[in-house]
Amino acid sequence: MSFFKRKAKNKEPERVPDAKATRAPLSPQSPSQATRNHNAFPEASGLSKVAFSAISANMDSFASGRTAILKKQPSHMEAAHFGDLGHSSVNYQPQETRSRLSKSADQVLQDNVALPHFIHYMEQRGADHMVRFWLEAESFRSASWSRVRAHSLNSVKHSSLAEPVPVSPEGSDPQMLVQSAPSDPNISRGSPAATAERREPSSTEAGLRPGTPRAGTPNRQVTSRTGTPCKGQSNSTLRDLSDKLMKSIEKDAVTIFTKYISPDAAKPIPITEQIRNDIVAKICGEDGMVDPNCFVIAQSVVLSVLEQQHFSGFLWSHHFCKYQIEVLTSGSVFLADILFSESALFYFSEYMEKEEAMNILQFWLAADNFQNQLAAKKGQYDGQEAQNDAMILYDKYFSLQATNPLGFGDSVRMEIESNICREGGPLPDCFTTPLRQAWTTMEKVYMPGFLSSNLYYKYLSDLINSVRADEFVNVSAQSQGGSADNERSGSNASEGSQTQQGAKKAAIKILKNFDEAITVDVASLDPESLYQRPYAGKMTFGKVNELGQFIREAEPEPDVKKSKGSMFSQAMKKWVQGNSDEAQEEMAWQIAKMIVNDVVHQSNHNSPGKSTKVPKPPSGFLS
Amino acid sequence: MTAAPYNYSFIFKYIIIGDMGVGKSCLLHQFTEKKFMADCPHTIGVEFGTRIMEVHGQKVKLQIWDTAGQERFRAVTRSYYRGAAGALMVYDITRRSTYNHLSSWLTDARNLTNPNTVIILIGNKADLEAQRDVTYEEAKQFADENGLLFLEASAKTGENVEEAFLEAAKRIYQNIQDGSLDLNAAESGVQHKPSALQGGRLNADSQTTKEGCSC
Repeated sequence: MSFFKRKAKNKEPERVPDAKATRAPLSPQSPSQATRNHNAFPEASGLSKVAFSAISANMDSFASGRTAILKKQPSHMEAAHFGDLGHSSVNYQPQETRSRLSKSADQVLQDNVALPHFIHYMEQRGADHMVRFWLEAESFRSASWSRVRAHSLNSVKHSSLAEPVPVSPEGSDPQMLVQSAPSDPNISRGSPAATAERREPSSTEAGLRPGTPRAGTPNRQVTSRTGTPCKGQSNSTLRDLSDKLMKSIEKDAVTIFTKYISPDAAKPIPITEQIRNDIVAKICGEDGMVDPNCFVIAQSVVLSVLEQQHFSGFLWSHHFCKYQIEVLTSGSVFLADILFSESALFYFSEYMEKEEAMNILQFWLAADNFQNQLAAKKGQYDGQEAQNDAMILYDKYFSLQATNPLGFGDSVRMEIESNICREGGPLPDCFTTPLRQAWTTMEKVYMPGFLSSNLYYKYLSDLINSVRADEFVNVSAQSQGGSADNERSGSNASEGSQTQQGAKKAAIKILKNFDEAITVDVASLDPESLYQRPYAGKMTFGKVNELGQFIREAEPEPDVKKSKGSMFSQAMKKWVQGNSDEAQEEMAWQIAKMIVNDVVHQSNHNSPGKSTKVPKPPSGFLS
Repeated sequence: MTAAPYNYSFIFKYIIIGDMGVGKSCLLHQFTEKKFMADCPHTIGVEFGTRIMEVHGQKVKLQIWDTAGQERFRAVTRSYYRGAAGALMVYDITRRSTYNHLSSWLTDARNLTNPNTVIILIGNKADLEAQRDVTYEEAKQFADENGLLFLEASAKTGENVEEAFLEAAKRIYQNIQDGSLDLNAAESGVQHKPSALQGGRLNADSQTTKEGCSC
């Protein structure tokens, strides 16, 4: 595969793959489209717009990326590295690459894009309080820690200005307690020794005290005495701050407690009495300091409930499809998103096979799996077994008599040989170099084509259809109200109940037009209506209807939608203009056809009596 | 096997699962290459093969993911179950242990695939009758109890290999016809493509949705 080596000389400009922003120089149209995409869901044809906006963004970036690759001078030739491409080449960490399309529960909780969808799903199940508790507890924890740390930084600053006064701890502790005076009646006045002990760990935990652990304590003790003149000012402010800080942290903790944990809460989270008591103890600490980690145990309980009972339902729900669509139409899709998502991989494999590049993908999958399972053992693996596994890959892809040679250079082959024959067996990073090269090849050579291909468009359509079918089912299930077998589950698209099947089949019928060949499905639609011009030639000023009313037709009001014919031709122009690439044109036709079908269907759907000359699309249709 | 692009109307995703050494890769190889690999090394992670076959007059491409059976690869292979339209669960009729582990494989398959995934149980190495350790009847009973299709096959002789893949494909196709498998859903394991050869003709599955048109 000589092209494999040739491509090494062409570099693309560096980019930050993790940036969520669209790549502005390469895809000038996508920012506006990206913002429109987020509003596109409720609209029927808006969904098709979502798909073709995504394709357009990808096509643009592909086209300009392609010319960029061809034009760019090689910046530096490095045989081992495929190019200076940011993290995807030099710092390729196989274990860390994840798909934004395949998430675990805790990843979703920390992902701002996926989280709203998850919350919607949980709201439908009536269990969103758990998610909200987890989020609030998490932000409470990190906020409290940072405030405590910031505060102790301040105290250290102030105390280093003050003279350290060696004072015995006993006398001032009760006063310290009095001053921090939390309103919670449960606080217990422990013995001074105990509180001193309590204070020590929390001070060191707050932890930014450079080597003088006692410096802060005498400071606070000093503040409890009213008689010290020289440190009066700064210390009282400090004391106020300390009080305010403690009080506000405590207030937050109590709020969370009341909302979610207390037995009187509207929707308490499912934790045991023991955990609840533990939380109470941590909030009402003996020295008056709230433990910022007080909710951690409850959080982990809630997380495991979410994982076990709700998360897989979420992954099958249309909410997750919506999230995937959002990622895929964000204007920047990365190879990691494709390779680590099973549904995307299905389509990508088909694409790679068409491109006769299956070997690269196969190698990448096999070597990546090998490394992952080895890494998961954390050093406790049988070196001989690992070596045998690695040799299988070597024989298949690297050796001079390889059955599926990939064209790796000699230097790589020798590196692999030495990695495999290492004393004690290969390490989990044995194949990192060729993996990186395979990754980069797929990313630069194949992924752009994939993202502009029919297959990808099909994948997006399928995702969109999943969303629509599910929502359609839910809506119809709601409207059918009382029938017994219409229990709304809201998650799995392939539900068993008969009525839902019927409703869904109806939805499928409607949406199936996507896959027909280029001709419009004449079975149920009147193709002539496609070309009807409600304002024929724009030459008539108006007409008189059967009631004798004059209907003005010139200068239609601004919010009256344009005729379908012009939208069709507009779409066509937009897609075909300047493109001599046949594949793109064909796809443009398909997309246009899809729009047409949608449009025609919508208008027929909404005006059953076809006697009206002006089939009005539903409002909001063309937004 | 290369095929002209768009020669097929559907793509079904299959996975092959089962203990190591039962013959999963050999079944795949026999099916796609019509050859028996006597000395094939064990699979690392996953491998992939495709073949086009005809189901109810429709050309269907099968995208078959052959997973490693070794326990150490179990965690990584789990990620390939999702979105499979069909699953071949293979055991070796000459080794009882591979049959006993079926419940564990079945649990994984049920948990990780969607409810409509068609699972077919395959008892491989049927040519080694003399060393048989699992009877046909008991495996059939297990399959019936769990709602699985069942066939005994031999990757070596080729017996029942095509039938195994075909039976599953037929069942999947049936599910599409009666609507229990949503053709246009992303996680169904099925890709539906327009066929250039068919022109504007309605595909077989659309026939059920024709609304009395006279075209």
